[in-house]
Amino acid sequence: MAVVSVQGQDLVVEMEGLDKLWALKSRLTIPLENVRGATVDPGIVGEPKGIRAPGTHLPKVITAGTFHHEGEKVFWAVRDAQKAVVVELADENYTRLVVEVDDPRAVVAMVEKATRR
Amino acid sequence: MGRRRSFDEDEVVEAAAELFARRSYEGVSIDDLVKAVGVHRNSLYGVFGSKRGLYLAALRRHVEREVRPHLARAAREGQVPNWDLLLLAAVDRAPEDPDVAELVSSVFAELDVATGDPVATEVLLGRWLRGRPDRGVPAELDALETAPGKEEV
Repeated sequence: MAVVSVQGQDLVVEMEGLDKLWALKSRLTIPLENVRGATVDPGIVGEPKGIRAPGTHLPKVITAGTFHHEGEKVFWAVRDAQKAVVVELADENYTRLVVEVDDPRAVVAMVEKATRR
Repeated sequence: MGRRRSFDEDEVVEAAAELFARRSYEGVSIDDLVKAVGVHRNSLYGVFGSKRGLYLAALRRHVEREVRPHLARAAREGQVPNWDLLLLAAVDRAPEDPDVAELVSSVFAELDVATGDPVATEVLLGRWLRGRPDRGVPAELDALETAPGKEEV
């Protein structure tokens, strides 16, 4: 599970508990101007994810860490597909983040409000 | 339908608009969009950024192509053409999304100019709402929903 928040001009994604270990990352900070949008998307978990390096991938249990697929670098931290949120980025190390959050709709609304220009 | 990596953006936006015109925003999943427009999920995110990004592109296309060119005709004939996406946006998304609210309001203001009277606009929109239950589901959309490869998940 990740906790997503807006802090000043940044979007901050913090991994909770053991997910820090699986994802090999505890915190990501992205300038809001590089956030293109957020979407509730349970179905993305069924997509091919590519090569994991580094991180953890136990298919159908947990997808966590950095995945390389078709020229894109995607950060995953998802156990429960129903709570997956996709955050699309620009000019960042990652093309997009796919993270499990407690309340996907609330996170999407928060990101949309913070990035509305 | 095969999913393409390179695609005609306008075709994708048009197909998305058809889907968004028939269902509430929350009722359209990315799975639905991927299936309906026939492109990869990664490409959808890469081009539009989010479901909202694709929705706004769909609504703007609808307004530019299907609403604005027909304002005068709608005013003259006293009934609105197929503006389901605009009208659904007014009810479903405008209260949630300030950009949608702004676009819908500006189109209604343009309709006021075309009818020459806000009350005439209200009659027009009221007539659309009043007649909507009687129109049912268009036959071609009914067929689309049950066509092979279009089943719901």
